[in-house]
Amino acid sequence: MMDAFKLFFSGVGVFFILYMIGYASFLFLSVTVGSTTLYQLRRRNQLKNELLQDYYVPVSIIVPAYNEEITICSTIRSLLSLEYRIYEIVVVDDGSTDNTAQILRETFHMRQITRPIHRSIPCKQARAVFEAWDFKVPITLIQKENGGKADALNMGINACRYPYFICMDADSVLQYDSLEKIVRCVVEEGDVVAVGGAVRPCNGAEIQNGRVVSYHLPNRVLPCMQVLEYDRSFLAARILFDRFNGSIIISGAFGLFKKSVVVDVGGYDPNTMGEDMELVVKLHAFCREHGIPYRVRYATDAVCWTQAPEKLKDLCKQRRRWHIGLFQSMMRHRRMLANPKYGLVGIISYLYFLIYELLSPYIEIFGVVTILIAFGLDLINVPFMILFFGIYVLYSAILSLTAFFARIHTIDLKLLFSDVLKAIGLCVLEVSCLRFILAWVRARSLIGYQKKKQTWGKIERKKIHFE
Amino acid sequence: MGIETMLYFYGAVCVSMIAFNLIYNTLLKRSQLRLGKRCRRLEARIAPQLKLLRRGEHVQEEHLAYLRHRLCRVKNLIAFDQILRQYLQKEQEAWELRYLDQIQPVILHLALVYQKRSNINAAYFSYFLSRYMAPKHMPIHSIQGILLDYIRKENLYCRVNGLRALYRFGNAESIVTALEIQDEGQVFLHEKILTEGLLTFTGDHRELIDTLWARLGQFSARTQLAISNYIRFQTGEYTGQMLEVLLDETRDKELRLSAIRYFGRYCYEPALETLLAFAGQSDPELWEYATVSVSALARYPGQRVIETLKQALHSANWYVRYAAAASLEAQNVDYESLLGVIAGGDRYAREMMMYRLESGKMQKASV
Repeated sequence: MMDAFKLFFSGVGVFFILYMIGYASFLFLSVTVGSTTLYQLRRRNQLKNELLQDYYVPVSIIVPAYNEEITICSTIRSLLSLEYRIYEIVVVDDGSTDNTAQILRETFHMRQITRPIHRSIPCKQARAVFEAWDFKVPITLIQKENGGKADALNMGINACRYPYFICMDADSVLQYDSLEKIVRCVVEEGDVVAVGGAVRPCNGAEIQNGRVVSYHLPNRVLPCMQVLEYDRSFLAARILFDRFNGSIIISGAFGLFKKSVVVDVGGYDPNTMGEDMELVVKLHAFCREHGIPYRVRYATDAVCWTQAPEKLKDLCKQRRRWHIGLFQSMMRHRRMLANPKYGLVGIISYLYFLIYELLSPYIEIFGVVTILIAFGLDLINVPFMILFFGIYVLYSAILSLTAFFARIHTIDLKLLFSDVLKAIGLCVLEVSCLRFILAWVRARSLIGYQKKKQTWGKIERKKIHFE
Repeated sequence: MGIETMLYFYGAVCVSMIAFNLIYNTLLKRSQLRLGKRCRRLEARIAPQLKLLRRGEHVQEEHLAYLRHRLCRVKNLIAFDQILRQYLQKEQEAWELRYLDQIQPVILHLALVYQKRSNINAAYFSYFLSRYMAPKHMPIHSIQGILLDYIRKENLYCRVNGLRALYRFGNAESIVTALEIQDEGQVFLHEKILTEGLLTFTGDHRELIDTLWARLGQFSARTQLAISNYIRFQTGEYTGQMLEVLLDETRDKELRLSAIRYFGRYCYEPALETLLAFAGQSDPELWEYATVSVSALARYPGQRVIETLKQALHSANWYVRYAAAASLEAQNVDYESLLGVIAGGDRYAREMMMYRLESGKMQKASV
């Protein structure tokens, strides 16, 4: 019996060694490439290797809103202060049960209008359309029947006037130059169908008119750890995927899309929770299957500030939703897995997301359970295990810090010494504790997801002060 | 043993990452200080030369030699750029011209030096040229020749900055050659970059347009489109040539659409029949021609035009209806004339027209 256990544990050991080598190598590669790219970008900007003129690419900004009465006006004011020439704002109120629409109408003196909307993508009916022309750019408010975020975005796509649209969250703030930076990707390269912006937690940042006037790490532990996690996992990894046109996630908080292609693929899928990821995967699949030359890009310097959840309950809700979305997108496009027809997207990106994102919580929990069993059977070398864990924590923490400092250095933010110490302490905590808590949450997320798959998944919000 | 080696390896990676962070942070802090030092050093050299210029004397040969030597390093060139920027804020155009005139030999020397440098440095040098070369004031043809070599480099920013510098020189022939070079290269240059750039040309636009038009057929469809858009923003004297493009069915679709837009900006009676024909056709494959023609008709007076626009309101295509309603609104057609549409049985036409009228009122009220 003991021999069977030993055989099993040695098999598990080999599996985890391979798994960890894969993960550590990916982490190392992504952080190295990510940091190098950020430093190169800084040098390029210093040496004026950038497009310095304004190029007139008109953009529609779609803001889907559901019960956003606290933040919606601040968001629209922040959008009005963007430094860009031609754009419009389209707010889609997805049947809010609070006063979102009323507050908007009153604040921006909007007037009802009978506007025919070109319904090129199916979506629920509009109840009323309001417009305001008294500001720098036109603002449109569409009140519609509740149909979920994807449905609201589809309505926005139908209603928007311009060839490119930006989707963003109603509780986020775009940096003053974010439109210019995200549009640059379209002008720099041909065939760009989508561009992801850099989403950063605004907890701890003081933003005035879309500009960061002071920056420090958040006072609360949870958002602070998320700042470090965002830099390591999202910023670095997305830069790496961008290198081979392999980005399969563009955050719903800030992304730019070419309207005609999105219409061709049928817009956002209202039957998935991760509509943002599903759309990007669908764009890859569509373009590859039809032999359309395309590019999905990531703009590291187009920044959107968003609120990271401050309560563990909210963070768990968010991650549960992300994991369900990931599961749905991957299942729907499973034909892409290791399929050479889809190039590196199918071979690298899909495989990475499958193993290290979708399955990772199960693998990690399996690992912890195995350790406990092995410990119970006295089959584990405890000092070696602690050393191994220590190395893992140190390694991940240092890579988190490298990504974090690369971002801080390249955008000329000044950190207090206390912030540096906080970052060092909390990145260890994030890697050793938060990661496992979130793994547990993600592992449980698929239980009963069918019931909640079309909800907006609300998270407690604070009012964003940007003036 | 194998596992331990692996742990040591990852430990070594950790140590090297820490070292990288520390070294980079130190270098970053120092680089700011060094830039400040470089600026002060250069300023100390430039200030006496300015005094000489104000007294009507020339920049000293020793100063030129100093610049020739120093500015070969890109970091010094950045510092020089900063100093010039500060001076330009304080002083007026005259200073710029006099000082920059006299350091022409240095610029020529640097153009040769940076030509052999990496793309990123070459792009910076061409940016520098585009910023400080006074329009039509530096007739150094050899620099223009060298800049054409910069444009040959397969790098977007070398091209963009090189073109910017050439636009500043204001020589039409160089621009045409540069456009031909970029057209042959592999680097994608968006037509918007080309159009916006051409509009900043400091020389004789008439001459440039004539030269570009004479060789239009040699360019790719994308460059032709950029040139056509540039002409549209620059002059209304190309109506005859644009009509030829519009009527030539072998031409690229985007180019022909650009020609229609030209007639939306500049009224040209001989083009009216073609515009009306496009606006009235119902082939779903040609909806883009119909939409743009309907928009262009907003500037053309006459009952025939209004009738065609009213007819276009009943189009099966949403964009054609939208453009028709917008054009009718722009034509200030009175309510009575539109009664047939507003009280008519075509709900799509009615809703579109009503929307444009209401929206137009709101826009006028907000002005």
